[in-house]
Amino acid sequence: MSVSFQRLLVILISLIFLITSILLILINSKKNLIFFYTPSELMNANPKINDIVRIGGFVMKESINKIGTNIYNFTITDHKELLYVTYDGVLPDLFREEQGVVVEGKIIKNKHLKAISVFAKHDENYIPASIKSQLKNNEYWKKDYK
Amino acid sequence: MISLIGFIGLLFSCIFSVSIVISFFNQNKKVYEKIFYYSVYLSAISILVSFLALILAFINSDFSNYTVFQNSHSSKPLLYKIAGTWGNHEGSMLLWLVIMLIYNCVFSFNKTLDISLKKLTILFQSSIYICFALFVIFTSNPFLVNSILVNEGLGLNPILQDPALAIHPPLLYLGYVGFSLILCLSLSGTLLNKIDKEWILTTKNWTLFCWSMLTGGIALGSYWAYYELGWGGWWFWDPVENVSLMPWIAGLALVHSLMMAKNEPLLKRWIVFLSILCFSLSIFGTFLVRSGILTSVHSFASDSSRGIFILILFLIITGFSFILFIFKSNESNTKLNLLFINKTSALVINNIVMIIACLTILLGTIYPIIIEVVSNKRISVGAPYFNSTALPILLPGFLLMSIAPALSWQNNKLPKFKYYLITFISMSTLTVIISWFSFFSIWGFIGLLLSFIIIAGSVLTIYINSTKFGYQNFLNYNNALIAHIGVGIMILGITCSSVFKSEYSLSILKNEEIKFDKYSVELIDIKILERDNFQELKAFLQINKDKKVMSLVNPSKRYYHVSKIITTEVGIYRNWFQDFYTVLGSENNKKWDIKIYTNPLVNLIWFGVLLMVFSGFVGILKNE
Repeated sequence: MSVSFQRLLVILISLIFLITSILLILINSKKNLIFFYTPSELMNANPKINDIVRIGGFVMKESINKIGTNIYNFTITDHKELLYVTYDGVLPDLFREEQGVVVEGKIIKNKHLKAISVFAKHDENYIPASIKSQLKNNEYWKKDYK
Repeated sequence: MISLIGFIGLLFSCIFSVSIVISFFNQNKKVYEKIFYYSVYLSAISILVSFLALILAFINSDFSNYTVFQNSHSSKPLLYKIAGTWGNHEGSMLLWLVIMLIYNCVFSFNKTLDISLKKLTILFQSSIYICFALFVIFTSNPFLVNSILVNEGLGLNPILQDPALAIHPPLLYLGYVGFSLILCLSLSGTLLNKIDKEWILTTKNWTLFCWSMLTGGIALGSYWAYYELGWGGWWFWDPVENVSLMPWIAGLALVHSLMMAKNEPLLKRWIVFLSILCFSLSIFGTFLVRSGILTSVHSFASDSSRGIFILILFLIITGFSFILFIFKSNESNTKLNLLFINKTSALVINNIVMIIACLTILLGTIYPIIIEVVSNKRISVGAPYFNSTALPILLPGFLLMSIAPALSWQNNKLPKFKYYLITFISMSTLTVIISWFSFFSIWGFIGLLLSFIIIAGSVLTIYINSTKFGYQNFLNYNNALIAHIGVGIMILGITCSSVFKSEYSLSILKNEEIKFDKYSVELIDIKILERDNFQELKAFLQINKDKKVMSLVNPSKRYYHVSKIITTEVGIYRNWFQDFYTVLGSENNKKWDIKIYTNPLVNLIWFGVLLMVFSGFVGILKNE
C-alpha cells in the first residue's frame, strides 16, 4: 500500500463513521429531543398525546394531593395557564407549594401530564436560568431570585 | 490577616512564574539557570502557602474572609470545613492553581528528558499558569475581605456535606489540570522537533497518571451521584458529567496512541493533536460549567463575567496550540503498517471511534445553546439521545477491544484464532440462553454479549500469554488486558443495573412486615436524632429473606438548621449480587411511604473502573 492510498483508506473509514454518527444524530434529534415549556407556552405549542416534554413553573397553592402510595397529583402554573400533573414516586425534598419546579413527562390528555421525573433542585431558590428570564417578564413574578 | 498572607502567596506565585519566563529568555548567563529552577520551586511553595492559608481560614471560621463567610459555618464538622475549601468556585480555582504548579514542580525533577525540552515545557506550563492566576485574581479571588463585621457564616450547601467532597474534586483536578502538562510537553516537543523515544515514554507516564486520576475522579463522582437523591443516579448525561467525559475519552485515545507510538512513528502528529484536544476540552468544559450557560443538576456558582474570561483563555491557549501544531509539526512520509486487521488498524479504528463519540457528546451538550440562539426555543437533551447516539458509535470499538491486544503488528493473523472463535460462539449462546430465561431487551442483550465477549476474550489472551511466557512478569504482559477486563465488568454492571432493576412502593406501619418480590421488609423503629449541625429522622428497616434477617438499612431525612434545608439520605444494603436501595418518603396516618429499588450487580461498575485505574498505575510503574 502506498502512503497516499493509506491516507485515503483512513479518511474513508473516518468518513464512514462520521456519516453513521451524523445519521444517528439526525434520527435521534428528531426522536429524543425534549422541549422545555412553561404551561402557557405548552398550550401554544399544541402538543400531541404521548409527547414527552419538560415543563417549568410553580406548584400551585393547595394543589398537592396524595392519591395512593407514593402517587401524587399536583398542578403547575405560570399564573396564566394550568397543567395537571400525576407523579408516581418520592417527591424531592425541596418540592413545596409555590416553589419553582421542573417536571419531565408524557402528555396523557389535554392539560394533563404524567410525570416521569420531578426536579426541585439543590438551592431552595433554584430555578433554571432559561425559565427565569421568561418568568421575570410575568407580572405576577414578585419574588426576587438571585 | 490570614487572607492577606494567602493573597500575598498567590501574588508571589505569579511573580515567580514571571521570573521563570524572564530567566528562560536569558539562558546565556549561568545565574539565570539557577534562578529558573529556584523560581519553579518557589512559585510552587508560595501557592501552597496561599492554599494552606485559605484552608486555615476555613478551619478557624475566619468570617472576615468573604469566601469563608459565604460558604462556611462554625458549627460544621472539621472534615467539611477543610473540604469546604474547594466546595466553592473561588476555592476550587485556587486548588486548580495549586495542582498546576505541583505538576510543574514535580516535572522539573525529570532526569530523562533533554534539558532544552524540559525547560521549554516548564516555560509553557508557567505561561498557562500566569493566565489562570490572573483569572483567579481578577474574577474569583478567594481572599476578598468582608466589608462588614460578621460572626457567623452562611454555611455550606448541605448536599455537599458528604465525605466524597474531600476527594472527588482534587482527583478530578489532578486529571483535568494535569492535561495542561501533557499539552506543554507536546508543544515543546513539536517546537524543538524532539519527539523521540524518551519523549514518548515520559509523556506516556504523565498521561497515564492524569488519565487514571481523572478516571478515579469521575468514578467517585458517579458513586456519589448514585447515593445522592436527586442527582439522577450514577450517570445522568448531565452537562457537567459530559464535560468530564469528553477529556476522558480524548485522554483514553491519547493513552492508547502513546502506547503504540514506539512501534508506529507516524502517530506522533496525531499524539500532539490529541494532547491539544484533551486540554482544550478541559478548559472548554470549565467554561460551559462556570459561565452558567448550561443548567445542570450539579449546581455550580456561575457568573457570566467569569465565563467570558475563561472563553478568552480557551481561545488563546487552544488557538496558539493549534497554530503551532499546523505550522511546526513535520510531515512524515513513512507508511503506517496498516493491514486488514492488525494492531495498527485496530488502533486507527479505536481512535476514530473515540473522537467521533466525543464529538457527538459535545454536540449533544451544546445543542440546547445552539437551538436557543437560533430559534429561541428551549430544549433539553437527555439520556435517550446520548444512549442511542454515542453508544452505537462506540460499539465497533468495544468489539475490537476483546481481541486487539492479541493482534500482531506485522500480519493479519490472530494467533490461536480457533480458540477465540469457540469462545465467542459459546459466549453468544450463553447470552441467548440468559435472555431466554429472564426477559429480552435489546440493550440488555447487546450489553451482556459485549461484556461476556470482552471478558472472555481477554481472559483467553491472558491464558495464552501465560502458557507462552509463564507467570513471571505477569503484569507486564497482561496489563492492557486487565484494563479491558475492567471495561467488560463495568459494562456488565451497567447493563444489569439498568435493565434488570426493579422498584417497589410501599406504605408501612411501625412493626409491620411487607413482602416484596422474594424478600420482605419490616419497619423496626423510626427515631429523631440530634447530630452536629443537623437533626436526623432515621428509619430502621430490616430486610428479610425466607424469614431470615439479611440486613438493617437506615434511610433518613436530615434537617439542616443553618440553611433550613431538608435532605433525604438513602439507605443501601449491598451484597455480592445486588443493592437494596431504600428511600424514606412522607408520613400519612402513621404509615410511612418507602421506596425500595433493587439494583443487580451495580457495584461492578465501580469495581471495573477500579481495575482500569489499577492497570493505569501498573502501566506507569512497569519496566519497558
